[in-house]
Amino acid sequence: MANPIFLNAMNRVLDALHMTCKDTSPILSEMVDHEVSLGKRVRAKIHLMMCVVCRYYEVQLLTLQKLAQQLAREDLAALDQATLKPETKEKIKQKLRSP
Amino acid sequence: MNRQTLNSDLWVDRYGDLMYRYTLVRVKNADTAEEIVQATFFAALQSQDRFEGRSTEKSWLFGILKHKIMDHFRQAHRERSLDLLPEDDPDPCTFDSTGHWNQMPKSWGMTPDQAAENRQLQEALKTCMDRLSDKFRQVFVLKEIEGLDTQNICNEFNIKPTNLWVILHRTRNQLKKCLETHWFNKDSHG
Repeated sequence: MANPIFLNAMNRVLDALHMTCKDTSPILSEMVDHEVSLGKRVRAKIHLMMCVVCRYYEVQLLTLQKLAQQLAREDLAALDQATLKPETKEKIKQKLRSP
Repeated sequence: MNRQTLNSDLWVDRYGDLMYRYTLVRVKNADTAEEIVQATFFAALQSQDRFEGRSTEKSWLFGILKHKIMDHFRQAHRERSLDLLPEDDPDPCTFDSTGHWNQMPKSWGMTPDQAAENRQLQEALKTCMDRLSDKFRQVFVLKEIEGLDTQNICNEFNIKPTNLWVILHRTRNQLKKCLETHWFNKDSHG
């Protein structure tokens, strides 16, 4: 399986087809955001079938997105220790009373 | 009819901290966040008459807050272009001459859903977001926190689509690297 001549030839084929990890990783990032062209999608999918490392990368991208979406939820304000300074609150209250 | 009414006296105590935290996730600077919350309360006070009682007081205030936060982003973009420039941070992920990762991604040992529920990991992402450059942070917030689609961001902030994808890709790689340094790798060492 790990025949160096085979691997070398394989690398050259992938390189020529723009299907290396270097080519694939930006497409995976784009696919998180929006639809990509069929050609890009097919190249990425075939690469993912062969490359466990890029599959990990794909999961990492999805993880970042899910985490960010969680941070965005207003009912789950992420930094529960952060508060307005008491003097700021007082200042705002006073201004609200006499605008 | 059970019309919702407003009680501006209680706003600050009831919603002040919540609105401040909501803003801090989107805006790095604590002073800026404070200003935005303050401006929201004043705008709310001035437009009290237009509160129709169709929403709760809280969601009405948050509606105004969201507008104020978007105004802040528009303002920041007027002062400095959000388009990609040569001096912007490079991609931290690099590849060898055959196109293989120099540092191969490893499994983070959890599904995206499990990660999203992890409180400390949420905090870690917040910390890592604060380490991004202003431009990268703003673009990431607009896309992933505010949930604008890429088309919208390009139109409103005058970025070329290909540049936006590059910025988002580099930003994610920076966040990935930061989380690995401060969270995942740290964790595996005990």
